[in-house]
Amino acid sequence: MTNLPTVGSLAHSKPFVPVSLLVLVLMPLLLLPLAAVFVFAFRSGPGAFLKALLTPEAQFAFRFSLLIAFATAAINAVIGTFAAYVLSKYRFPGDRSLGILVNLPIAIPTVVIGTSLLLLWGPIGLLGRMLVPLGLQPMFTPLGVLLAHLVVTFPYMLGAVKPLLDELETTYEEAAYTIGASRWQTFMHVILPALRGGLFTGALLTFAHSLGEFGATVLVSGNLRLRTQTAPLYIFAQFEAGNIETANAVAATLALLSFVLFFLLLRYTGAGAPSEPARSR
Amino acid sequence: MSISLDRLTKLYGNHPVVDQVSLELPNGEFFVLLGTSGSGKSTVLRLIAGLIAPDSGTVVLHGRDVTKLPPQQRGTGFVFQNYSIFRHMNVAENVEFGLKIRKILPQERARKREQLLDLVGLAGFDQRYAGQLSGGQLQRVALARALAYEPNVLLLDEPFGALDSKIRTYLRRSLKEIQRRLKVTTILVTHDQEEAFELADRIGIIERGRLLETGRPEDLYAAPKTLFVATFLGAGTVLAGKADSGSARFGSLSLPIPPETAHEEGARAQVLFRPEQVVLSPEMPDGTIPILGCGRVVEKTFSGPFQRVRLKLPHLQDTRQVAPHVPFGEEGLLVDAIVPSELGLQSENVWVGLRSWHILDQPRQRLLIYAGSPETIETCLATARELSERLDASSVLLGVAEDQESVESLGIVLQQQKTAHGLAGAELQVHSGNPAEYLARLQQDGNFDLLVIGGDSSNAILTRMLECCTVPVLVVRQKQSALKHMLICTAAGESGKTDVRVGGKLAHRLKSSVTLLHVTPRGSAGLSPTTKGHLERAVATLRGLDTAGTVQIRGAESAAEGILEEATAGGHDLIVVGIHGPQSHSIFHVEDITFRVLAGAQLPVLVVPIEDE
Repeated sequence: MTNLPTVGSLAHSKPFVPVSLLVLVLMPLLLLPLAAVFVFAFRSGPGAFLKALLTPEAQFAFRFSLLIAFATAAINAVIGTFAAYVLSKYRFPGDRSLGILVNLPIAIPTVVIGTSLLLLWGPIGLLGRMLVPLGLQPMFTPLGVLLAHLVVTFPYMLGAVKPLLDELETTYEEAAYTIGASRWQTFMHVILPALRGGLFTGALLTFAHSLGEFGATVLVSGNLRLRTQTAPLYIFAQFEAGNIETANAVAATLALLSFVLFFLLLRYTGAGAPSEPARSR
Repeated sequence: MSISLDRLTKLYGNHPVVDQVSLELPNGEFFVLLGTSGSGKSTVLRLIAGLIAPDSGTVVLHGRDVTKLPPQQRGTGFVFQNYSIFRHMNVAENVEFGLKIRKILPQERARKREQLLDLVGLAGFDQRYAGQLSGGQLQRVALARALAYEPNVLLLDEPFGALDSKIRTYLRRSLKEIQRRLKVTTILVTHDQEEAFELADRIGIIERGRLLETGRPEDLYAAPKTLFVATFLGAGTVLAGKADSGSARFGSLSLPIPPETAHEEGARAQVLFRPEQVVLSPEMPDGTIPILGCGRVVEKTFSGPFQRVRLKLPHLQDTRQVAPHVPFGEEGLLVDAIVPSELGLQSENVWVGLRSWHILDQPRQRLLIYAGSPETIETCLATARELSERLDASSVLLGVAEDQESVESLGIVLQQQKTAHGLAGAELQVHSGNPAEYLARLQQDGNFDLLVIGGDSSNAILTRMLECCTVPVLVVRQKQSALKHMLICTAAGESGKTDVRVGGKLAHRLKSSVTLLHVTPRGSAGLSPTTKGHLERAVATLRGLDTAGTVQIRGAESAAEGILEEATAGGHDLIVVGIHGPQSHSIFHVEDITFRVLAGAQLPVLVVPIEDE
């Protein structure tokens, strides 16, 4: 990636003033809060930091968060790709409305999503009420958390895959059909490989969002220690209990993890689309 | 037979994009389907490959009826215009894809792949990806991929469309050679004549979904049957004259009509001659070849060994020029010729003779009649009979019943009516449903030259027809008409020219006299130079159509009013007005001239659609 000066760019004028102004604005907005987390986390030394991370509750929260994020990414990869395929390849009455509907979770506050899930699946919810006699109760269980994360992160996979499918000419599939490939073979050998880049970025985005999800999780999980408490919920709980340093240790680790994911994403999307191996070789 | 299509039809909505196409290809033939964009040529190919399903008709490949089979089971090789090379596979994987699907062993696959890449001239490119290949190379990969599993037939959809001309010429030659060597039956679709001539064993010309003619390139060029093929393939001059005792007459020139050419005594006859069939000489040729006349050179272009010359000749009695297009306002004949460059030509007094020529098959004019309600059925059918007799046209009488039950009773009524009005020869079609939609569909098919509609047919029908008609529509009112004096309403502008041309053509066939009407706002001072020029050229154009025209200027409050006043006052039989685009009536509705004339006129009104060239 080279930044060639284009016509109308200010490459030749002095950058000092605008750049320092930008940094000045960003300092209190982005950089200082992040720095504060790390400063507080290590204030009592690395020993205390490690100790905070090694409590069973913190350990559980991390493992649970990672597990949910993996599961969410995997499940939404399948459903999201399927949704993208249907929305991209078929024309049917209401296709546009459906396309808007599946993207709605981005626009709705996550707390509202949590509430609506409770109102549907909770013990007095529309469907949940019927499950009570069967002894089933999805809310306030790991399953409920997974459900919330699936809903909240659904649009990311779709958004990453659908543009690729839209760009794929119909003749691409038709070529495979005339050659003799069945619908399934065509999907596996021709369409899916063309979507690789989108699948990867979509999964990474989903994973990252699931890892940090708070609003919907706090409602559907019941915030049960060692049962449904994700890492963000744990941080919040520790803060409320006044254990600022414990909260910060977990927060710093979570932030670090997110950085890693983010850089992975940047590298992957920035280094040229892998759907065109020709260029990367 | 490798490929055998039987009355293959595909509808999009109600509109046939492929219309009753039948075709037989013997083994190893290279067939080129030639047509303009939107003619349905690619759809035919997709129907054969099974990428879309036909509405009726069958596809038989090597004796096996595959009409109901999915594309996977048809074994066709398809090359797409955009190549559709799988981007995540390299060249080797692309070519081997069909073999891998068929579970051929890797060694066998590799052997086959090498052989094919060698054949298409891409040996050693195995490991490249699509992004590393040029358009021509991608096209050859696509060809190798389609040939890998030894397809029954090879189908190529404008394979050279996206390439520049130098590569195109080279690839054409190599495709032809590969096809010869493998002897695979091939259909190639293109809009490029030169490509068709170079590649085809046989060419098929497709237009509006119909396969008009098939034949060897040289036969189609020299002796086309239809006017469309005559003007679509190559350049040439087409003149319409009159068939008279076994000859086609154009002024004093008389050319014998071969016995196998369909024609009718006294009816129209058309002759085609190509530029290279025209003989030019400074002196009057001796009596051995037919002479068109003596004219002057209007255009001369040098093109290597030959020069292309366009000549203008005086108008011939009882002759109308069909091609090339004569500019509005000119009345002479235009003739294109190709002569050797070294031939010195003076620009005046060039004698034009014909070395050889070809008489086209003469289809009869076809009328579509919709009589509407009982009140106008009498006048409508009487006018239709008058027209069909004077034009020597065949007719279809359309009846549309509201529901399925009344179809039969309507059929009986119409049958009686048409016999009673001397239209016994007309074909009767009775359907149930929406009449406007039926009319719209039938006229769009391009089978008809003129629509005749009973005038109190509901406004909905007229509105729909004016929206979509591509052929002139004659709206018949209460008044019976002799169709002897035509009133053409015209104003300067492109659509004004079309009105004169279309009206004039009909007047020529009907042998009616024409009054050209121009309406000016009341009290306006004189005519603008544009209008004056337009009217002068309109009269000349009519003369070129062998029709006498007089100009009438009338002052009136509005154009529609002026037209209606003149129609009553001038003793005319038929009003000709143009239509101003599909959207105009919905925007202006009441203001629209066409609508107001239709609403106010007692006489029949001929509505001329916009010409799309």
